[in-house]
Amino acid sequence: MTRHSFRFAAVLLLAFVVFTPQGEAQVTDTAGTLRVPDAAQFVGEPQGTPLTGDALNLRTHQVGQLLRCPVCQGMAVSDSPAEMAVNMKQQVRELLERGYTEEQILRYFELSYGQFVLLKPKFEGVVGMVWVLPVIALLIGALVLFLKFRKLDKDPESAAGPEVAPGSDPDDMPAADPYVARVREMVSGGKR
Amino acid sequence: MNRTVLFIGIAIIAVVIGILFTGLGKNPNEIRSPLIGKTAPTFALREVGTGRTVDVSEFAGKPVVINFWATWCGPCWEEHPILVANARMLQPNVQFLGVVFQDEEEKILDFLRQRGSGYPTLVDDKGKTAIAYGVGGVPETFFLDSSGVIVAKHSGPLSADLLRENVQKVMRQ
Amino acid sequence: MLASLGRILILASLFAATAGALIGFAAGRSRSLEGLNWARRFAYLYSALIMGATLLMIYALLIHDFSVGYVAQVGSRAVPMWVTIVSLWSSLEGSILFWGFVLGAYVAIATFLTRGKYTEYQPDSIGVWLACSAFFSFLLAGPANPFHTVFPVPLDGPGPNPLLQNHWLMTAHPPMLYLGYVGLTIPFGFACAALIKGRLGPSILKPLRESLLFPWIFLTISIMLGGWWAYEVLGWGGYWAWDPVENASLLPWLTATAALHSIMVVERKGILKGWTITLIQASFLLVILGTFMTRSGVFNSVHSFTQSSIGPTILAFLAVSLLFSVALLAFRIDKLEGEGRIEGAGSREAMFLVNNLLFVLLTFTVLIGTVFPLVVEAINGKQMSVGRPYFDAMVVPIGAALLFILGVGPALPWGRATGAQIKKALLPPVAGGVILAILGFAFGVRNGWTLVTLAFGGYAAQVTFSQMFLPMIQRMRRGESFSTALVDGQLLRGRRRFGSYIVHAAVIVTIIAIAVSSTMRETSELHFVKGQTQQASGHEVTFLGIEQRQEPHRLSTIGRFSLARDGKELRVLEPRMNQYEMMREPIGSPSVYTTAGSDFYISLSNIDTRAETASITVFYSPLVVWIWISVILMGLGALFSLIPMRQRVIAESRESVVGTAETA
Repeated sequence: MTRHSFRFAAVLLLAFVVFTPQGEAQVTDTAGTLRVPDAAQFVGEPQGTPLTGDALNLRTHQVGQLLRCPVCQGMAVSDSPAEMAVNMKQQVRELLERGYTEEQILRYFELSYGQFVLLKPKFEGVVGMVWVLPVIALLIGALVLFLKFRKLDKDPESAAGPEVAPGSDPDDMPAADPYVARVREMVSGGKR
Repeated sequence: MNRTVLFIGIAIIAVVIGILFTGLGKNPNEIRSPLIGKTAPTFALREVGTGRTVDVSEFAGKPVVINFWATWCGPCWEEHPILVANARMLQPNVQFLGVVFQDEEEKILDFLRQRGSGYPTLVDDKGKTAIAYGVGGVPETFFLDSSGVIVAKHSGPLSADLLRENVQKVMRQ
Repeated sequence: MLASLGRILILASLFAATAGALIGFAAGRSRSLEGLNWARRFAYLYSALIMGATLLMIYALLIHDFSVGYVAQVGSRAVPMWVTIVSLWSSLEGSILFWGFVLGAYVAIATFLTRGKYTEYQPDSIGVWLACSAFFSFLLAGPANPFHTVFPVPLDGPGPNPLLQNHWLMTAHPPMLYLGYVGLTIPFGFACAALIKGRLGPSILKPLRESLLFPWIFLTISIMLGGWWAYEVLGWGGYWAWDPVENASLLPWLTATAALHSIMVVERKGILKGWTITLIQASFLLVILGTFMTRSGVFNSVHSFTQSSIGPTILAFLAVSLLFSVALLAFRIDKLEGEGRIEGAGSREAMFLVNNLLFVLLTFTVLIGTVFPLVVEAINGKQMSVGRPYFDAMVVPIGAALLFILGVGPALPWGRATGAQIKKALLPPVAGGVILAILGFAFGVRNGWTLVTLAFGGYAAQVTFSQMFLPMIQRMRRGESFSTALVDGQLLRGRRRFGSYIVHAAVIVTIIAIAVSSTMRETSELHFVKGQTQQASGHEVTFLGIEQRQEPHRLSTIGRFSLARDGKELRVLEPRMNQYEMMREPIGSPSVYTTAGSDFYISLSNIDTRAETASITVFYSPLVVWIWISVILMGLGALFSLIPMRQRVIAESRESVVGTAETA
């Protein structure tokens, strides 16, 4: 496929995505037009591909894992049997079916519930520090160890080979160890 | 004395205890709404009993109190008479709306017949409106000013004082 | 009557603990043996009083004396006897009393076992234990008083939290957790005493290590029981949700595990003394932090049943304990100078350092993730969550690195080694890693991290098994018969070594089982009408119908499903929804068909008795049962290594060590 025709297909796809789902958002009723708040009002038109079948089930589960059920204390929407969670999962499913991306769906829920609803903290601002701090801790720890080990390697004494071959001593007690040597002296009562 | 250990230790203590201290007395289950100060999501839902569609935009120009509740929730029973009495009193200056979700229609009608009603009660199928408002649990009440902006939200049952206080906030706008 | 007696016992225990603590510290200062003896007497007195108070409460519960406040709160004539006993720890006041009971037992036993020994450290150790005891007696005397008098006396009570009766694991988990949590007070006491004296001599290392390992066993088991409970009850097919309360039990376990490793370096090399002491103190402090997390109501959790007003008191105790620990460290750490040194980056002690770095990093990450919502709220007032996706992303790489070190560390020798020797030690186990990874791939493992885990796990397994039986093999090479080599080399001598490699082997199995079961889990959601059969994960599931059972405090709606494979019926599974009187949301109880290879787990998500339809979620996860088994094995291995060797055997093995040293 040439680059040009690929672009044409993409436009077609986009048009499909943008125009089809709108009708479905409006549920009509004999007594007048029922209207529930719609994601389009808040996060714009869908930017992904509509999903169906197994892919839809899988993605619903995955996105549901990222959303916190507001009534069940820390559980993910996917994992909770609570009615609120079931409703939210249904909403996720519907939005995926209409072609909303994970990012858009998370944004939609965030708009109404705040970052409270996101089980995976965002990587921005103060909140993002939760990702950075452990990495900083790792770097500091690794630096300390690295400096310690480098000092050892530069130490001329370290160049010598060990007195005991690896694993040859059942009790893992190399005699070269001054501390162990002292203990041995103690237990043998200085008979040597 | 090892000053480094002392300083690092004291710093850790200050941070840990300080942070835990700020958490005391807060209810971790209460979700503070990011919608406050923003235009409320609009909706048109079916009224219980009549089947008529009630559109929240009909009431543009006056303050609206939206109460999310359900018949199975004890605290909702508590606040119901307060809501009804105030809705009557504040008519027609403030519009009250009840939105019920996760419930059955007969139960709602029974409830209203027994305990009275003074404003439209709407059914939120599959809780979509509740989700758009960021409702965590019932009861939760939203206070919209005349331009449709959410000024305040209250989680849990309303007392007469709390209700009046919040309505006053909305009227002032 | 009983209430007043209980109150007197609590107040007396507060007095005994406070007096004993003061005497202990004074005796430590003046090095008075007489003072030490008095501190010991007060320790026994405290234990007798607090245990007496607990037994009194159990008695009050059993005779349904509703004039006692706590009995009126949780007791009920309608529940069976075991529930009545279990209700001792079902609510806040009772669980603090139970804490006191366990602490009393630990203090008495530790005081008894150290009689006539460690006289240099003992006064201060007892002082620290009793100071902690005094705090819990204070809680019982004031903010969490279980012995208040109720008048008029009610005829019956509401019974304990229904969740406690939902599953037997919920009754077994708290005592285990307390045995772990509370027991960490003992090594904390030894560690603080060592700091006060400014010396961590070789003699105190044995009680320090053993008093750390013993509660570690219970903590390990209780963490597993908590996960198992979540798996059996919560119905989402998993066992670990990174919930704040779960994390609270994991945090001290991580630091205690790190300390158990670093203490070996102290034993061998006389270095890392201050670091080890810091880890032991941190374990105790994390226990107090965990208690705060569970009891203050500050954290949002599925497990916090009791929320109360004792949060500020526990926080104050945490602050004081932190200050005490930091002050001691700052003033004394420089006195604990090391005697030996690390002799190369390719040595076992160097790997212990890496191990400790990783454990501390893991602790830090879990701690940060748990408290970060509070931090953010304190900074900008916004609410946020840190959930499973975060912890999975952060913990998996650290866990994999730890598994790698678990393989590399024991393969390397203590002390210095040449490049060739390191190569010789590290290369052969690669075979084990490759084999296990290929095996996993053949069984359909495609997840990158799981394959890494299998490779590291296979490597570590080969190292562990070759190290585990090394003493036996060496004895056999020297011409001993298989049976003597086995008994002498593995079971009589070197129990500590054998036990610890059993623990390592169990850890490898646990980590592999966790990785495989969580990444290979198949989930399907199915909707049934009565009589319908559907396929799920290679099994046939038939919906047989609905059954409703009215029990005293709950209504159970049970969906009956027959599970078959290739036409052969395996089991009828009965997942249920339990509707408790006082709760809105029903609590599901999933039903699991467990085999050695996999678990077939059915959880009801919706059931309609009128239309006779049901919606279920099926989780098919491999190897889950190995998590429970191997964690129990971990505890057994550690217990085995704790069995004291008879003096004669020790003397003999010392001679043989000296003998080899002389011939070497």
